[in-house]
Amino acid sequence: MDLKRDPQDIYARWLGAGAWLAFALSLLALFLYAGGVLAPFVPLERLPQLWGLPVERFREQTGAPTDWDWIGYLRYGDYVGLAAVCLFAVLSLVCYLRVLPAFLRHGERLQAALVAAQIVVLLAAASHLIPGAR
Amino acid sequence: MPQSLGRNTITGMRLVLLAAAIVWASPAAAAGQSPVAWWVWPLALFAVTFALGVVAVLAGVGGGVLFVPIVGAFFPFHLDFVRGAGLLLALSGALAAAPALLANGLASLRLAMPAALVGSVTSIVGALIGLALPADILYTALGATILAIALVMWRSRRSDHPEVPANDPLGAALRLHGVYHDQATGRDVEWKVWRTPAALAAFAGVGVLAGMFGLGAGWANVPVFNLLMGAPLKLSVGSSGLLLSVVDSSAAWIYLHRGAVLPMLVAPSVIGIMLGARIGVRLLRIAPAAAVRGTVLALLAFAGGRALLKGLGVWA
Repeated sequence: MDLKRDPQDIYARWLGAGAWLAFALSLLALFLYAGGVLAPFVPLERLPQLWGLPVERFREQTGAPTDWDWIGYLRYGDYVGLAAVCLFAVLSLVCYLRVLPAFLRHGERLQAALVAAQIVVLLAAASHLIPGAR
Repeated sequence: MPQSLGRNTITGMRLVLLAAAIVWASPAAAAGQSPVAWWVWPLALFAVTFALGVVAVLAGVGGGVLFVPIVGAFFPFHLDFVRGAGLLLALSGALAAAPALLANGLASLRLAMPAALVGSVTSIVGALIGLALPADILYTALGATILAIALVMWRSRRSDHPEVPANDPLGAALRLHGVYHDQATGRDVEWKVWRTPAALAAFAGVGVLAGMFGLGAGWANVPVFNLLMGAPLKLSVGSSGLLLSVVDSSAAWIYLHRGAVLPMLVAPSVIGIMLGARIGVRLLRIAPAAAVRGTVLALLAFAGGRALLKGLGVWA
C-alpha cells in the first residue's frame, strides 16, 4: 500500500506512531525513576545540590557518563528516563529513513537528495561524530 | 460566565508563576542550598510548565520560547540543563502536533525539508557554541535575544494569504507549492513560495539561536515562512512545527551526549506543558487573547531583562 502513498502521508503515519510510543514510554520511565522502582545512579536527594552546577562540574561530581556510554547504565532509573527522552530525538531520523525510498519511487530525486543529506546530519549528531562535539 | 472563567484561569496562571518567583527568591535558594525536599522543584516545574502550556496556546506561541528564559530566571537549575530540557520540551510539543498537521495538509514536508536541513546544521553549531560559552556571556546573549524576540512578537504582522506572483527558480525546483483544504472557509487553498534563498539564510540564523539557547523557534520560523516566503499563515504555523521537530532533534543530540539532559527536569516539563496545552486549547474560545498575549510579552520582557542583568552582573 505504501508504494502509492505520498511521502508526506508516510512521514505523518510514522511520526504519529513514534510520538505516541515515545510519550507512553516516557511516562513509564518517569514512574520507574521517580517512583523509586529502579534505583537512580545519582541519588534523588543529591539532585538539588547538583543541578545548579555547569554540566562539566555535574559530571565531575557524579561520574555521570557522556556520549553513548550511558547505555551501560540502563539498570538505573535516571538512565531509563534518558533512554525514553532519546526516543524523541531519534524519531525524525527514523521518519526520514522511511520516506527516502518513497521519494525515489515518486521520481523526486532532488527531494531524495535532501532527505539523504538530512539523514547524514542527524546520524552525525546522534553518533557524536561532529568535530568539536566531544 | 465563560469569560470570567477565562480571566480566573489567567489569574491562576499568573499566581503559579508568582509562587515560583517567591520560591526562587528565597534566601536559601539564592545561596544555592536546598531548604526543601528534592521533589518540590520538579513538582514546581510541572506546575509552571502547565501554566506555560496554557498561556502558550492562548498567546499563539510555542512553549519552548517561554520555558528557557522563565525557568532559567526563576529556578535553581543551571542554564546548561535548562537549555537541554528546553530543546526536548519544544521537540516533544512539535512531535505531538506535527502528525495531524501533516495528515491534514496544514504542514508541508516538502516546504519544511530544505529549511530543516539548513537549520539542523546551524543548530548543531549553535549548541556547540552555547555549551562552550561562559555562563555570564550566555545569560547576557540570552537576555538580549529574548528581549529581541519579545519585540518581534509585539511588532510582527501576519498575512493570511500573501500574494506570490510565481515560484522562484529554487522553490520551483524543490516543488515548494501545493494545495491544502481550509476547513474554516471550506475551500481549497493553492500556495507557492518565493525568495527561497533568502529564507534559507534566515533559517540558518534561526537554527544557531535555537541550538545555542535551547529555544523553540516558531517565533521566527512562522514569519520567515509567511512574510518572507509568502506561504499562507496556517501552512506556515503547521510547517514551522515540523521544521522545529527536525532542527531541535539535531541540537538535542549535542546536549544529550554532553550529559546536559536531566530526565528529572525534562519529564515533568514535557508532561506539564502537554497537559497545559490541552487545557489551553479548550480555553481558546473564551479567554481574553489580547490580555494573555500582553502577559506573555511582559513575562518574556521581564525574564529577558533578568537574564541580561544577571549576565552583566547587575542582578546576580
